[in-house]
Amino acid sequence: MAEMTYRQALHDTLREELLRDENVFLIGEEIGVFEGSYKITAGLLQEFGPKRVVDTPICENGFVGLAIGAAMLGLRPVVEIMTINFITLAMDEIVNHAAKIYYMFGGQCPIPLVIRTPGGGGQQLAATHSQNLEVWFAHVPGLKVVAPATPADARGMLRTAIRDNNPVLFLENLALYNTRGEVPDGDYTIPFGQAKVAREGKDLTVISYSRMAAVAMDVARRLEEEDKLSVEVVDVRSLRPLDRETIINSVKKTNRAIVFEEDWRSYGVGAEIVATVQEEAFDYLDAPVKRVASVEVPLPYAKPLERAALTGAQQLLDAINDLAPRRRR
Amino acid sequence: MPEVTMPRLSDTMQEGTIGRWLKKPGDEVKRGDILAEIETDKATMDLQAYDAGILEQILVGEGETVPIGQPVAIIGSGEGARKPEQREAAKAGAKDGRAVAGAAVAAGERPGTAAGAPTAQVSAAEARRGAEAAPAAPPAMGVPAGIEEGARIKASPLARRMAAEHGLDLRQIQGRGPGGRIERADIEDYLEQQRMAPAVAAPQPVAAPVEAPAPTPAAPAAPPEAEVIKPSRMQAAIARRMVEAKQAIPHIYVSTEIDVTDLLALRQTLNASAGEDEVKVSINDLVVKACALALEKFPEVNSSFQDGQFIRHKQINIGIAVDIPDGLVVPVIRDANLKGVRTIAREAKALVEKARARKLSQADLEGGTFSVSNLGMMDVTSFVAIINPPEAAILAVASVRKQFVPVDGQPVIRDIMPVTMSADHRILYGAGVARFLQEVKRLLQNPYSLLG
Repeated sequence: MAEMTYRQALHDTLREELLRDENVFLIGEEIGVFEGSYKITAGLLQEFGPKRVVDTPICENGFVGLAIGAAMLGLRPVVEIMTINFITLAMDEIVNHAAKIYYMFGGQCPIPLVIRTPGGGGQQLAATHSQNLEVWFAHVPGLKVVAPATPADARGMLRTAIRDNNPVLFLENLALYNTRGEVPDGDYTIPFGQAKVAREGKDLTVISYSRMAAVAMDVARRLEEEDKLSVEVVDVRSLRPLDRETIINSVKKTNRAIVFEEDWRSYGVGAEIVATVQEEAFDYLDAPVKRVASVEVPLPYAKPLERAALTGAQQLLDAINDLAPRRRR
Repeated sequence: MPEVTMPRLSDTMQEGTIGRWLKKPGDEVKRGDILAEIETDKATMDLQAYDAGILEQILVGEGETVPIGQPVAIIGSGEGARKPEQREAAKAGAKDGRAVAGAAVAAGERPGTAAGAPTAQVSAAEARRGAEAAPAAPPAMGVPAGIEEGARIKASPLARRMAAEHGLDLRQIQGRGPGGRIERADIEDYLEQQRMAPAVAAPQPVAAPVEAPAPTPAAPAAPPEAEVIKPSRMQAAIARRMVEAKQAIPHIYVSTEIDVTDLLALRQTLNASAGEDEVKVSINDLVVKACALALEKFPEVNSSFQDGQFIRHKQINIGIAVDIPDGLVVPVIRDANLKGVRTIAREAKALVEKARARKLSQADLEGGTFSVSNLGMMDVTSFVAIINPPEAAILAVASVRKQFVPVDGQPVIRDIMPVTMSADHRILYGAGVARFLQEVKRLLQNPYSLLG
């Protein structure tokens, strides 16, 4: 066990995978000489050289397409899209190529591709640089979408992503990079499609992922310390495949649930999870499932407006207070 | 379109009766207007409007009783027409009101009673009815009077499942969730009530053969020479509460005799020195004070047994049973241990006057932690009282009589007052009750200690 930041966990994992498998290479904007906009790839160009750590022009469609081609021929590219906002340029490559080639060509060539990219707002980067677009990809069969919330999960899931023979969208979050956590030693991996009961509780369940899972953990801890409520936190970690069983089991236990997500509410992760819950745990629900998400506007630049638009701990607390079973309110 | 619902006007209120509508459909309503008078078991209170608009519909007529949370009227823009199903919805839902009153001649109402106190007969009977009114049952099965068939009941899926598993009829259960939705907690409360209520055989027309149409639940057949009198709401509530208290609480009784010769002398001195307008101190006021001081010393008596736990109260609030025409109320003197006997006398007098004028407010009736019931003025040699839940004990005070008492081997005439304490044996045991009574006795026999 060692304590490290989320950033360090990603860096170390990339380095280990580069060492472990010579077919692994990194590609993206500013990842080499500049060592990455968020310094995830610091030092790697120097250590592994320009064939393994490839700087590209500003052309997401070009280098994602290149990576797909490389994957078809047996390499294991790890693409960095500087932030998820720029992924729109590569949608055709991801949705129409990466997700479909294995299926459409009769299974002749898998696409062992990883796209790492951070999402999230709160940094005053304004409307086009603060989005959470992961549901676009979670919607597409043929892709895997994971969104770890802790350094330990980031490490185990990035290993799984790089070793997986399918295209994986690996979602990071700008506000998670500096968070710290214990990371186990050894070459462990975390399988996709396994949610984690990050904290046990009995009054209600908060279902979340990525940074909001971390926020939910803080809120749950505070509520427990103040001896108010026992909140269970389910960190789904993997949006596609989604571990429905863990969610359902938790709802069967607490009978009340909130889905907490940083993206917009409509058609979001919450919508998917709420639908699942009512399909599979209808008779266990003691109240309607709530969704806590961000206000449906392009994220404002002005700090007070940005704060007002983004969801967070206060919004979750309000929802919990609203939903908590009567005896505990 | 805002619904006006039956408000919860006291902690223990379960249902209320519309006494009189002060607005009629079509009237304009401003926030704060008084829409109607609500009769609870204890008092008549105002129903205020929280929304402005036009009173579109009255869903519950005068004299009708509905549980709290049920819509009683609709305030809107004036366009809404009266819809029959809304009226049905308003009437559907839980019944099972529980409420006020007190014990025999010796109890009263207290907040928090509702949670733990079963409605013995009512619950048992309703449970049976609930079990029979299974989904497939023909409509002829016993539908409780006042609850209409077919009304939509709001219940969470979990609550519905639990109700089905326990064979409960959701119409018998009061929903306290948003908009009156029945939730798990409501089912659990209901089951708890049933568990605590001894299964009392209540003759109910539920065993009617399935083929036969259910008889209209008629008034119990009365012998030809007798008159059937419908109890008032207060009397009905007293009846229920007495069953609850006497069946749920294992009573023990401890009696003693108190020599109040010196107490009477002190009282005479006190009252002689009182001015023209000053309230006279009664024996009961002094007994209240003595009990309050003894409760300070024996806090375990100033307790409640609730949900399997002992609740020890910090305040010492003493209820005094007050006889009123066709009923009984137990208003409360708060912090009686901290108040002087004259203050207690003043407050007691005011409460009795309010009680007789039926002007007691909810606050006057709430919060008691111990009660005193005094029949001393009625030439009573002794009696026992029923505990007023959730209190743990009640003191029954009989008449003072002159008796020969041996003093130094010689018969001496002294004033003797017999008292009997009823105590909840779940919290209190005989010896503890006796020790408490000894302290009350010591204080009353050394009456200057009451003036400290």
